[in-house]
Amino acid sequence: MTVSLLLDQRPDVWRGNQPPVAAPPGIPTGWPELDGLLAGGGWPRGAVTEILATGPGAGGLRLLMPSLVQLGRQAGWIAFVAPPLLPYPPALAAWGMALERLLVVRPGTAAGGLWAVEQALRSGSCSAVLAWPAAIEPTALRRLQLAAEAGAALAFLFRAPDAAAEPSPAALRLRVQPTGDGWLVEVLKRRGGWRTGPVRLRAEAVESTNPPGGPLSGGG
Amino acid sequence: MRWLALHFPALSLDLLGTGGDVPLAIVETRNGRSVVYLANRAACRCGVQPGLGADGAKALCAALQVRERDPGREADVLQRLAAWACQFTPQLSVEPDALLLEVGRSARLFGGLPVLTEQVRAGLAELGFAAVCFLAPTPEGALQLARRGESGTVADRAELEQRVGALPLAALPLDERACGGLHDAGLRRLGELLALPRPGLARRVGVDFLDWLDRLLGTVPDPRPSFTPPATYQGRLELPAEIVAVEGLLFPARRLVHELAGFLLGRQLGAQRLDWQLDHAVLPPSCFSLGLARADREAGRLLDLLRERLQRLDLPAPVRALALSVNDLIPLAGRPLDLLDGRVAERGLQLLERLRARFGAGAVTGLEVRPDHRPERAFAPCVPGRRGVGCRFPVRPLWLLTRAEPLAVRDGVPCWQGVLDLEGERERIENAWWVAGGVARDYFVARTGTGERLWIYRDLRSNRWFLHGFFG
Repeated sequence: MTVSLLLDQRPDVWRGNQPPVAAPPGIPTGWPELDGLLAGGGWPRGAVTEILATGPGAGGLRLLMPSLVQLGRQAGWIAFVAPPLLPYPPALAAWGMALERLLVVRPGTAAGGLWAVEQALRSGSCSAVLAWPAAIEPTALRRLQLAAEAGAALAFLFRAPDAAAEPSPAALRLRVQPTGDGWLVEVLKRRGGWRTGPVRLRAEAVESTNPPGGPLSGGG
Repeated sequence: MRWLALHFPALSLDLLGTGGDVPLAIVETRNGRSVVYLANRAACRCGVQPGLGADGAKALCAALQVRERDPGREADVLQRLAAWACQFTPQLSVEPDALLLEVGRSARLFGGLPVLTEQVRAGLAELGFAAVCFLAPTPEGALQLARRGESGTVADRAELEQRVGALPLAALPLDERACGGLHDAGLRRLGELLALPRPGLARRVGVDFLDWLDRLLGTVPDPRPSFTPPATYQGRLELPAEIVAVEGLLFPARRLVHELAGFLLGRQLGAQRLDWQLDHAVLPPSCFSLGLARADREAGRLLDLLRERLQRLDLPAPVRALALSVNDLIPLAGRPLDLLDGRVAERGLQLLERLRARFGAGAVTGLEVRPDHRPERAFAPCVPGRRGVGCRFPVRPLWLLTRAEPLAVRDGVPCWQGVLDLEGERERIENAWWVAGGVARDYFVARTGTGERLWIYRDLRSNRWFLHGFFG
């Protein structure tokens, strides 16, 4: 009897060379290549996802748009806490996101921001909370992770790429680099799996759902 | 009928926010002399006693705070307590020093008379008032026995007659002449009076007193004017010692919020906005309002909101008194909160309130689309949850710079972290540019060397380039 035969009789023993079996289903990201890498086939529910990117131009928000559109069809806020710029309503609406779900919080201080994120996650009234913390301690991250679990909300923290060097209790960490026509996405940490090499996502595959033009096209 | 009398022996002290260990005495003027009427525990420990001259009291205790008794304010507080007590019964009346609650009919709702009485007592303690609670079959009996200073219960009229029989004549509403006459006749207690034949007694004490006796013992009915709660809530709390730190306000504010909660519960109403006023010695009062996304009457939630709001309050001067007024009242009964969607909505509104209380309403908004060609006017902050009008625009960036950033130009090409590569069509946005706020711009999607996509424009009047957004 070989080790692998023995292991076959023990479904509770996780084997690193196999995809996780019992991961709870996630929220589809809208990017099939990305879903394939993630336990549960999507963003982990009730957990913190870190997205490491250089800035608002790097594409972190656009990566989330398909799932935010889906989440906007359910009850619950989609909260933006301390966004670096203005999330532009005409573009969000063009994506098909329900603006009546949008909640923008500008707390003014870093501590206030973390408090707001925790309150929002814990409240049980947000389907997703997006935040741009200036700096965040591992203990604070842990608190947010617990709050996301308590409120069954998706937490997305956008951080600078150098945060990759810090340990993190987040369930999922992605590094995102724009390529002009899409992104290179690298999974730095995920539940029930190792980190992956960069995966190329092509923007136009999803962008085509973004209906261009309309009554006001042409600009007057 | 079962009547619960609530007598407040220390009303004039209790109506001041408790100052903990500050020795405090209430004085009143008797025969042109200022005399201690009541003293709190800290003052009593220093030897300050009721009846002592005010100067003597100050000599005993240098730190003694002295306040003049204010019967008007006592009456006002009693009215507020009556409004609070409406949550226990619709039938109650206000006496000069007590409240009378008919609780026989509402007892079952609260799980019996002992439970109800305990709830009333505990609730009053939370408001900072010590009450003597006496339960009796007649209102006058309950009132007279409560005034003796000890809480208790009498079950029926026979026991009532026995208990009131022990009352000294001096405590009864008898005029001085009649009282003196009875005293001379060797009568000391009510029970001895009740044993006398009725016709003779009528001659000695008058018909009015006999009538009072009948009401006391329940042989004739005793209708009481029913208290009508006011239309709005106006609470006020004088502080025995000034409060300097914002955190110190929360404790006295609790009293007002609990009082409000009882008032709202009794009237089946919810508050939509709480207006707070903090009085200072010289400066004009500090005022702030707490708006609620949805009418509420739960003290815990109202206090949470206040706690968040107080965190960003700057006190210009110490606070001498707090006032809470609530004028926006909304019926709040039988709300369907058990539906799943309703629960999310409810929590969502609570979240809004918490965030607004801490950061201000302006920092917690939704966003809506506005039908305007100018990109910087094509949106507006709005009340979260509002479903705006649908407008379609050509391709727009996910992030907008609220102030466009001027771009450097190298060899005629705009630069942002390196030379930009312009892609696609230009979009001309032109809008009455000859008037203020008008624009004339050519927009382009541009790509950086690192693969980021930007939304930039050339101002047609100045010919300068600007960064206006990120496709993100």
